[in-house]
Amino acid sequence: MLLDIFDPKAPPQAIGIDLGTTNSIVAHVRDGRPVPLTTCDGTPLLPSVVHYGVEGSVLVGRTAAAYATREPERTIASVKRFMGRAAGDVETKRLGAYKFVPGDDAVVRFDLGNLRPSAVEVSAEILKSLKQSALDQLTHVGGAVITVPAYFDDAQRQATRDAGRVAGLEVLRLLNEPTAAALAYGLDKRQNGLFAVYDLGGGTFDVTILRLDDGVFQVKSTGGDSALGGDDMDREIAERMLTAMGANEPRLRTPEVVSIALEAARHAKHASTEAAEVNIELPKRGGGELRFVLRRGDFEDWIQPLLERTGKSCRRALRDAEVEASALDGVILVGGSTRVPRVRAFVQELFGKAPLADIDPDLVVAYGAAIQADLLARDSDEVLLLDVLPLSLGIETMGGGVDKILPRNTTIPAGAQATFTTYADNQTGFDLHVVQGEREIASDCRSLARFKLGGIPPLPAGVARLEVSFDVDENSLLHVKAVELTTGITQSVEVKPSYGLTDEQVEQMLTEALDHGESDFELRRLRDAQVEATRILLATEKAFASDADLLEDAERARIERALLAVRQAASSASQAASIQSAVSALDDATHGWAGRRMNRAIQSAIAGKNLGAVERSVAHAAGVEAHLAKHGDHER
Amino acid sequence: MDPFEALGVEPAFSLDLGLLEQRHRDLSRALHPDRHASSGVAERRMALGRAIEVNEAFRTLKDPVRRAEALLARRGVASGEGKEPAASPAFLLEVMERREALAEVRQSKDQAALARLIGEVGGEVARSERTLTEQFARAAHESAEILKHIAELRYYRRFLEEAASISDELF
Repeated sequence: MLLDIFDPKAPPQAIGIDLGTTNSIVAHVRDGRPVPLTTCDGTPLLPSVVHYGVEGSVLVGRTAAAYATREPERTIASVKRFMGRAAGDVETKRLGAYKFVPGDDAVVRFDLGNLRPSAVEVSAEILKSLKQSALDQLTHVGGAVITVPAYFDDAQRQATRDAGRVAGLEVLRLLNEPTAAALAYGLDKRQNGLFAVYDLGGGTFDVTILRLDDGVFQVKSTGGDSALGGDDMDREIAERMLTAMGANEPRLRTPEVVSIALEAARHAKHASTEAAEVNIELPKRGGGELRFVLRRGDFEDWIQPLLERTGKSCRRALRDAEVEASALDGVILVGGSTRVPRVRAFVQELFGKAPLADIDPDLVVAYGAAIQADLLARDSDEVLLLDVLPLSLGIETMGGGVDKILPRNTTIPAGAQATFTTYADNQTGFDLHVVQGEREIASDCRSLARFKLGGIPPLPAGVARLEVSFDVDENSLLHVKAVELTTGITQSVEVKPSYGLTDEQVEQMLTEALDHGESDFELRRLRDAQVEATRILLATEKAFASDADLLEDAERARIERALLAVRQAASSASQAASIQSAVSALDDATHGWAGRRMNRAIQSAIAGKNLGAVERSVAHAAGVEAHLAKHGDHER
Repeated sequence: MDPFEALGVEPAFSLDLGLLEQRHRDLSRALHPDRHASSGVAERRMALGRAIEVNEAFRTLKDPVRRAEALLARRGVASGEGKEPAASPAFLLEVMERREALAEVRQSKDQAALARLIGEVGGEVARSERTLTEQFARAAHESAEILKHIAELRYYRRFLEEAASISDELF
């Protein structure tokens, strides 16, 4: 163990991060089991609170939370609720202690006077702290899997990934929280069947129905509310406390008073899971103290509407999955808010069976993230996670309606094409508006991207044909490409959603964030390139071991030359760029081979299971091969 | 890409959905981006494209309307809304009556009546699917007849979607 710690060449350890509304956790897999790492607070749970000192210091965790009532405006809690939100969104106008930079900015910024951090930057501070804790304990940290609520839309996911990049993490994957929890349970119990995951966190609610079958976790449906959680329970209590304190009018609800009430509400809520009645001392307006009594029965009545909302999402998820509650083999509880006794009872009534909670509901998501990070880093094939798109994707039509192109609960990665034509002579461009959500009217949905597609050759109306492809990757992130079909000009546009950060912006934020400036940044890029090169060398060697017979002699020689160049660059180059160019040359050299290897994998997947007579499956395989020979190169 | 070829199954309207699911899973094991996470950029992009094709094919074949259209496409018959023959007056009448019943349920918030309506239309869906199975199995089939049943299925599906959203709204 000691040797490990002092070995400068210790292998990078992949980590899993649960970036929660209330608490964040970092975990990794040790000896085949997920374990939480100790955070700067000395515990696995790091309160997701960031304090920005007037003099420029940044604190994270419990030390930051200590400022919550003293400097509420400079102490940001529950930042997750602001991820991917615009300044004008409803969420920013709810009961809370913060001031926001006014305007129509695509991202929320907290107004701290001297500083105006965005939600992405605040989250990045939490991630940086977790990364540092991991570094202290693991010496060398590799990629990270970061979890997100299943019901997060594209904007919220982009923001989370950007926060990871700003924190200097290599984000291997964004993993849905319920899927992560199922992964932790599934591997622990080795039980197949149909499960529901009920995940009520600090600020988000998710429900996921999934089937677990010999290592394949197939999500059938997911639903939820990305602004519903334990915070809302606190607000229910805090509202009543504020009234009792004499702070009825908005002008009396200063950030300090609101913050005191929210803090007291949280304590009262926690205490009420053990006691039927909780007494809390509160300061009274104009001095003195008052005693506030929280009765569990009252609290349960106040949160009933919130629970009903989760019930609605659950019923819809069951319907989308086309299953009855009685068909479920188990219900898994996730999230700190499921500690509330009334929540457990509600889940039991809803699904008609006692829920499982034997893995700590605060840690189970981080465990799942660590397992997935470990599986990805080891290139393991034990487990396959088949997740779904949480919210429908659509394009705004001429009348302001929505043309759905991919419905919710489509298995990802997913893709769809839509063809457009010009409506005027010599029209050379189109405006497209991509939205996400279930509503019929585009303005009621989340706006993901507005963009102009140009480069159409001038032709009579209706002749040019523009095919737009929408690809959703394994992280549920959208990529849009457009190709003009008629002229054979494959003009292709990669569209970046407006709220996401460009690579340059992230680099700039990274440089600014680093204490030692440019040279450290270059060094880090070099190290990242070395890690990437090592990974690709390993992957290529593995491919040699299994599929060398698919290579022609000349091709093999070319790949071996490219391999050698990558190896040399990785060990001796002082510039990240020279490693990257060697890697991309290797990429080119292996392209045709990769296509043949993939065809072989497809054929063996198809031939592996007997779907009828033997000659029939041979005929299918030949059909697929013939088809791929025709179309296999379309990626280029 | 032809969805039957993408999944390597015999083209037919009547499919064993369990086997289809198994095939989809086996192909996903080979193609899912997580399986290519440590590969080079080009290979990752290729795997992503193929995984999307397989998922898209699975989505098409699970859905009776799109499955029927894929079968017609193999026979060179264009399909889709607007290419289908006009509905018979009897069918249109049936449509109108059901729509009225749905509107009434929305007003009366009668959960049992809504369930009954959904059950009835579900029965119609099953009937149309059986007819399509027979028609596709015949050596010489009538494209026009098939298109008519596809149009009916499309209508029933839309009706069920609307009923589901009413159920969302009310209960």
